[in-house]
Amino acid sequence: MIAALIEAAPTFWLSLKLATLVSLILLAIGLPLGWLSAKRRFCCQALLEGVLFLPLVLPPTVLGFYLLLLLGPEGPIKRLFGRTLAFHFEGLVVAGVIFSLPFALAAFREAFAALPDDLVETARTLGAGPVKVWRAVVLPLVWPGVLSGLLLAFAHTLGEFGVVLMVGGAIPGETRVVSIYLYDLVEALDFGRAHVVAGALLLFSLGLLLLVRRLEARWKSATGS
Amino acid sequence: MEVRYRILRPVAMEVAFSIRGLTVLLGESGAGKTTVLRALAGLSPGEGAPFGNLRPEARPVGYLPQQHALFPHMTALANVAFPISGPKTERLSRARALLERLGVANLADRYPAQLSGGQRQRVALARALARGPELLLLDEPTSALDAVSKAQVVDELAGFVRGLSVPALVASHDPDLARIADWVVVLEGRRVVQEGTPLAVFSEPATLATARLVGFKNLYPARVLSTEPCLIETPFGCMRAGCGAGLSPGSRVVLAVRSEEVILVREDRSRDRIENPVPARIRRLLPEGIAVRLLLEAAAPIEVVLPRHVADRLPLAEGRAVTVAFKRRYMHLLPVPG
Repeated sequence: MIAALIEAAPTFWLSLKLATLVSLILLAIGLPLGWLSAKRRFCCQALLEGVLFLPLVLPPTVLGFYLLLLLGPEGPIKRLFGRTLAFHFEGLVVAGVIFSLPFALAAFREAFAALPDDLVETARTLGAGPVKVWRAVVLPLVWPGVLSGLLLAFAHTLGEFGVVLMVGGAIPGETRVVSIYLYDLVEALDFGRAHVVAGALLLFSLGLLLLVRRLEARWKSATGS
Repeated sequence: MEVRYRILRPVAMEVAFSIRGLTVLLGESGAGKTTVLRALAGLSPGEGAPFGNLRPEARPVGYLPQQHALFPHMTALANVAFPISGPKTERLSRARALLERLGVANLADRYPAQLSGGQRQRVALARALARGPELLLLDEPTSALDAVSKAQVVDELAGFVRGLSVPALVASHDPDLARIADWVVVLEGRRVVQEGTPLAVFSEPATLATARLVGFKNLYPARVLSTEPCLIETPFGCMRAGCGAGLSPGSRVVLAVRSEEVILVREDRSRDRIENPVPARIRRLLPEGIAVRLLLEAAAPIEVVLPRHVADRLPLAEGRAVTVAFKRRYMHLLPVPG
């Protein structure tokens, strides 16, 4: 079993690296998007949000197909930046950000929506500038919601299969993440190793979910909702 | 302090009024009270004086929204220390002093969720004072309180605000609060329709809506018959009144009389010396604390409130015939709303 885990280590490592990078990028773009979505009204909001949430309902292969066209050797990204992202780790990161965004965004939006406007406004009338308002009022109240959204996106990126296969293939060390590795093992009828890898993923995902639940409970008690 | 503001959103309004000591901005919900307060705090876009063109964080106001907006993740002490700048120990000791001043120093370590409505209000007031405001803005301070704590809080609030010598503008629909103010500004349909001392506003409301707001229960359609002498046609027949300027024969008006200012005539009084007598019958007799409320049947329903010491000396019973009098000085002729 140890040997099987050591053998699988590079794919686990690649998956964790991917999920971590994707989560950090989601934090950077998801927070402002979540704030806008929860607190502001603007033109075509429903349409824009619908587009961002589309990956939730699209078959992963459909999303993967379009991403492949976008990132592939003939795609607009190549023409604009001169680089093919498909079948490279960077391509997986772009794909991961797009297909995990709805998970992070939904949680961020809910966290911001639960934050009463009058707290932010009153903080300003008490002399707090935007930086102090965010540091002392907004972030302390929304962080459990934000973190649970990030963990969900992290777990989802870790487990994604269809999009990753379409966009990245299974190049060892570059795009063969653990979910693809597991598929390869099963295809080769290597059920012994598959058991070890699948079991490890199962335990890891369960741990993440429990963490999310705990954070949500804590967040609810903090906001009194 | 003179206020002059042009507000654009969420509703367009233009207001000008004075703030003198404890000033109550009186109006029904939807009259624009909160909008005026928010504009003064810089939270709604508007221009004017005072504080126009300043960002909210730069305005020297202490703003208390309706739900007090205490930060739920901070203790009472940390909430009050929030607007204070400087080294931590100094901030905390100043915050503690403010809590003490409001009589809630013992609650310093509690979180807002562990405080009652009245306690929250005091903590929020301490926090609003912490930045040394030139003007306090309180939005419906009595709306979240039950009747018992309301009376207490209204009393304390008034005493406290007067002791501070910081002017306060209090938005409220509550006539009880307006009664004890130094100055009352009446807002109706997003316009200031009247301002003055509580006595002036309560005894001579400028509009029908204001009359209702300050508790006038007896309101009757009437028409001016002549101005010299001033005679009006009412549901009770022709009456002598006091015609103000702007009324001419034929003017339609509303006759307004407070329930406390309808006179119940003693039976032994000679009829011919009574001003505007109206025969009536007692339909209901409702004891109300230390007063008695009478609902009378006449050409139009009349409501009378008598202090108990007066009611006790009169033979009152449901179904009994009585005579009431409308005295000229208590009769107000209001313009009919267009």
